[in-house]
Amino acid sequence: MTQYFIRRLLLIVPTFIGITILVFVITRFVPGGPIERMIAEVQQAAMQGGAGTMQSTTSGIGGATLDEDQIRQLEQYYGFDKPVLVSYWDWLIKVVQFDLGVSTRYSEPVWDTIRERLPVSAFYGITTMLITYFISIPLGYLKAIRHNSHFDHASSVVVFIGYAIPSYVVGIILLVVFASNLEWFPMGGFYGDDFDDLESKWEQAADVFYHAALPLMAYVAGSFAVMTFMMKNALMDNLAADYVRTAIAKGMPFREAITRHAMRNSLIPIATHFGNNISVIIGGSFLIEKIFNIDGLGLLGYESIVERDYPIVMGVLVISAILQLVGNILSDICVAVVDPRVQFR
Amino acid sequence: MPVFNFNPLTLNKIKRFKSIRRGYYSFIIFTLLVLLSCAAEMLVNSRALVVAYQGQWYFPTYGDIIPGTQLGFEYEYETNYRVLKKRLQGSDSGFVLLPPIPYNPYETDLKNNQFPPFPPSFEDQHYLGTDTIGRDVAARLVYGFRTAIFFSLILLVVSYLIGVSIGAAMGYFGGLFDLLFQRIIEIWSNIPFLYVIMIVSSIMIPNFYTLIAIILVFGWIQMTWYMRTVTYKEKAREYVMAARALGASHKRVIFNHILPNTISIIVTFIPFSIANGIIALTSLDYLGFGLPAPTPSWGELLSQGSNNLESVWIVSSVIVAMTVILVMVTFIGEAIREAFDPKKHTTYE
Repeated sequence: MTQYFIRRLLLIVPTFIGITILVFVITRFVPGGPIERMIAEVQQAAMQGGAGTMQSTTSGIGGATLDEDQIRQLEQYYGFDKPVLVSYWDWLIKVVQFDLGVSTRYSEPVWDTIRERLPVSAFYGITTMLITYFISIPLGYLKAIRHNSHFDHASSVVVFIGYAIPSYVVGIILLVVFASNLEWFPMGGFYGDDFDDLESKWEQAADVFYHAALPLMAYVAGSFAVMTFMMKNALMDNLAADYVRTAIAKGMPFREAITRHAMRNSLIPIATHFGNNISVIIGGSFLIEKIFNIDGLGLLGYESIVERDYPIVMGVLVISAILQLVGNILSDICVAVVDPRVQFR
Repeated sequence: MPVFNFNPLTLNKIKRFKSIRRGYYSFIIFTLLVLLSCAAEMLVNSRALVVAYQGQWYFPTYGDIIPGTQLGFEYEYETNYRVLKKRLQGSDSGFVLLPPIPYNPYETDLKNNQFPPFPPSFEDQHYLGTDTIGRDVAARLVYGFRTAIFFSLILLVVSYLIGVSIGAAMGYFGGLFDLLFQRIIEIWSNIPFLYVIMIVSSIMIPNFYTLIAIILVFGWIQMTWYMRTVTYKEKAREYVMAARALGASHKRVIFNHILPNTISIIVTFIPFSIANGIIALTSLDYLGFGLPAPTPSWGELLSQGSNNLESVWIVSSVIVAMTVILVMVTFIGEAIREAFDPKKHTTYE
């Protein structure tokens, strides 16, 4: 078993290199990289500088653009002067030392920028997970116990709708109804403008949750459907299993048979699902964070793609790839810990 | 003589599917909508269906444009049939029959001294209003549906073709081939694919087919993995051994024995793949990394709508459309799954 997980951990390395090299090479062959952007910016600045400065610039017509030397300097600065694989190697060495480079847009270390945003995304991820468990386990339990009842059918429709609509569309619906029309909740952001002026920690927490209400609802809507069905199906499978039948046959009360036997076993798949959730939260967060304008990892990744800020693009990719890889392994470890019958080889 | 010769088992499944009304009716409505969208030019179009003008009949829907000069205007470009209709109203020289929604998804319908978006109005026949540059929302919704549905159908067919062939080969032949692809899939499935697709399509502006290709790069995995497991299980069963013992070739075993037995599992995946295709396209369009600008698409409408929340008709019409379609597809999927694999549980009273 330990051997298996060590092998899995080691497999992260080739996977990680595979992913990053792919994206690194892609970003390298792109027009509109940081240097082109800088040239454009300089040109724009010269245009805006207007006619007044025209005479004072010494180099005449070509003065607005960067000259060859400057471009070469920039290329050197960003490592664009070396072959792709060489600069990938340089980049990789730096990553291993937790140096993700410097953002071309903010001119500050990528790692700092990401570290600033990560807690925001993590807050949403963890809270969503807790709320989802809180809804799905009782709901799945009730649906399994009252299988084929009116309650079951009615709640199935709700769960199906929750399953069918992607969570960011739910987010937009919530935004239209509760923020734009009813004005019960703010339009977005992680906290309000007056956050720093708030007196106590409680008020600050209340402010964060006030802003988080709609995005959280959207996140939960995206994840509770699968979880509820998983809970229901697992419980129904266990209820139909022989050991529950035996327990009831020997005279154990039905409730007790569920709580002592069936329920315990049904929680296994639920408990181990969270590893997969890590990736879901990261994947879905581009859209929800963009809609609600939350300064998390997803929005950072999205903006850096739009702005072609490749150090950040690569940084976000590194973080999310590692989280996803580790999440998968964690969830397998959970399976093995919770259920001793499972054997990984 | 029926067209399809289903065996009794399949007939039984179809019967079960029909008995699940929620899914069956969704299936009928959805199929109808897809068929109707194929003929969208006759329902939503700026070109008239029929024009009778000075004793001559015209059917402008399909075919070349009819220049304005031919129908009594001074200009050489395409006739504006809505103007023509107004002009011919009450005169004896002819008539114009317009489609129910007389706008195409690309034209902007502007008014003097007013700026779009315009709210829904029956007078202008903008039943769902116009978007921020004056294009008819209903028209863009219909054509956007057609784009999305054919996008995900093509995606489905190609990814299933790849998935079934590689997956079946992996499961049936095993060995080095299996091992190789297992590793590839393991690496591939750990890539945060939405992110990478965003990066790729921010670099090259994709068209309809290149976008399918980009998504395919990641989309083949699920089916391949599933097919591998299923083939692996089927291969171990006696009928395969019996067929081999009788001298059947690998080709015959795969195509005549194993594949027919796995079809039922493939079928249950189809509706969910369709939904995923629609969602993928819409998300990418929403983020601005999907199809290029003037293409009518739900994601583009969604992003317009959520940027202009005060023009509530844009966002609400696209959300209603999306919800209805996706919920229907999910109902179909659930019904098919239920029909193909009915779970009969012991329940206690």
